Amino acid sequence: MLQLKTIDTDVLVIGSGAAGLSAAAYAAQQQKNVLVLDKGAVGRSGSSVGAVQIAGLGDWSHEDDGIDSYLNDINESGRGLSDPELTQTLAEEIDVSLNHLIEWGLKLDKNENKEVAVSHTSGHSLPRSISAKKGKTGLGILHALRRKATKDENIHTWSDVITLELVKSSERVVGAIVFDLTDNHLYFIQSKATILATGGAGQLYPTTSNPVQSTSDGFSLGLGAGATLVDMEQVQFYPVSMVAPHSIAGFCISFYHYSKLYNNLGERFMEKYAPNTLEDATRDKLSIAIATEIAEGRGTENGGLLLDAQEEIEQVKKEFPHEHKLCRDRGVDLNTGRAEIGPAAHFMMGGVKINKEAESEVPGLFVAGETSGGLHGGNRLGNNALSECIVFGARAGLNGAKLAEEADVPQVDPSVLEKTEAQFKQILSSAEGEYRPYELKERIQSILGVHAGVLRNNDGLLKAQNKLEEVQKQFNQVKITNTAYYSREVLDYIEAGHMIRTAQAIVGSAAARKESRGAHYNTDYPEQESSLQHTLVNFSDNQINIRTAPVKGGL
Amino acid sequence: MKLHVKIQRTDDQTDQFEVDYGPDMTVLNVLEEIYRHHDSSIAYRYSCRTGLCTTCMMLINGKPDLSCQKTAEPGEDGYLTLSPLPKGKTIKDLVKEY
Repeated sequence: MLQLKTIDTDVLVIGSGAAGLSAAAYAAQQQKNVLVLDKGAVGRSGSSVGAVQIAGLGDWSHEDDGIDSYLNDINESGRGLSDPELTQTLAEEIDVSLNHLIEWGLKLDKNENKEVAVSHTSGHSLPRSISAKKGKTGLGILHALRRKATKDENIHTWSDVITLELVKSSERVVGAIVFDLTDNHLYFIQSKATILATGGAGQLYPTTSNPVQSTSDGFSLGLGAGATLVDMEQVQFYPVSMVAPHSIAGFCISFYHYSKLYNNLGERFMEKYAPNTLEDATRDKLSIAIATEIAEGRGTENGGLLLDAQEEIEQVKKEFPHEHKLCRDRGVDLNTGRAEIGPAAHFMMGGVKINKEAESEVPGLFVAGETSGGLHGGNRLGNNALSECIVFGARAGLNGAKLAEEADVPQVDPSVLEKTEAQFKQILSSAEGEYRPYELKERIQSILGVHAGVLRNNDGLLKAQNKLEEVQKQFNQVKITNTAYYSREVLDYIEAGHMIRTAQAIVGSAAARKESRGAHYNTDYPEQESSLQHTLVNFSDNQINIRTAPVKGGL
Repeated sequence: MKLHVKIQRTDDQTDQFEVDYGPDMTVLNVLEEIYRHHDSSIAYRYSCRTGLCTTCMMLINGKPDLSCQKTAEPGEDGYLTLSPLPKGKTIKDLVKEY
């Protein structure tokens, strides 16, 4: 007998970062009933929170800048893997999306002349990065979107609720089964359109800049619903993140272009890897250089390298006050000393395959922000993450609302819901097992950290596949000691389930790409191949299936 | 090194823990240690770990502060004392409703 309650909505948005809240705002403007879920606190629990700047175009742009120039930089950075339909949409629509945010209350930072402050970021041919709240741009955007959501009576938000799986009927997504941590109940949310905006996958790695919620839920949910993931081996590592002390491990240092990097021999090693750009190199090249130095034994005791910003410290303090202060508060004084840094998992460039309307291949399912794939290809340009969120969040919201207008949602076979409910209840009674859920998560992190980090090789990827299979089996011996409401253990368990599926997608895709391209660097194939291929992942009959396909219109 | 920690779980219940700790640990690091090795039912909220999201705010030795930024230190009574922020609804232990 089915016990879970059903809730109806026109548009369901899973995730409430910049992409999710943008989608909600645009769908609600079309007079649709919108329900926004977050497994943490709505509007405060995604990677958007930490985003420093946003790249784009506007009336503040450099006189030589424009759609073509921006587009060219994005495509070049994508190493051939960026989908031209998506890059075009981003470059054409970013100014409109930014202007909407400004209408909704976003205030851009100004320079001494009271003009919008525009700064240069590595990889962009012209300065086109702007900020809000003095370099806390993600927070500024979230504040504007949260205000908008609170004011709009079509938008309902629900914190502390995690999605177990998407539900389909007649080959169409018709909603999701979710678990409310605060009352310990499962719910079926029936929706005419469903938008995945759950952010990234940094928590699949032992060191990450991402928030604790970035456990790859959306990639796994998309796979479960029959969507295709594209280029999942393309994990961007932020090259310069704190390694020590442990309490700020993974914290990104944005001012590496104002710094000098040294190995433990005192060599400014970028002279060897990128003599022209030195530290101001793109993230993929810098990550590979840093990881190589560390792998070849020229790192510190904590497995890092040394960053020295003393020469430009005044500029650093001025442009990046939060980062400077946070380091100082944790005992790292950059005025007089050096910081220990290394790469941290930062951004998933791969993701659910979408078209320019933010539609996945599965009817009823839209995807926006980091959970979608294809825009950034093999290397995301700095400050383009928020740009993606607001442009494709808007598209997902508008198109979701349009579908909700037309859609006649098919009924769900209750046995589908009953099955999930029964399985879930069984898990909650697993007090006798061997492995705590957080231990399963740590195992996944450790496997990906060792074998699917910045530097990869064939042997390591094979080992990772085998080890992930072992962890998959350990899920049958999980031990959940606390099943009362707001249980971190239950949350960890659900997240670990999403993590193992996404981890298999990442490792499988990395093994299938027989070359080095963008963020994927395989030391057994150090060169880029001349033929251009996407890696594609699907999930059926409880199996991950990986294939490659030529890039449309590729080289 | 051991740190003595008191956590207010409800109006009538305060639990004590003796936690292994090092000098660079934040209050959040201590809570993670308690969740893993002392009491799996302890409830606390956090996200960014970099002092931006503010969801990890709680009373630390009586003063509102971010648990991800505050170094774990005993108060005058020799205990690190944690309790939920007084304002708003508390869902469980240190977790406030959003």
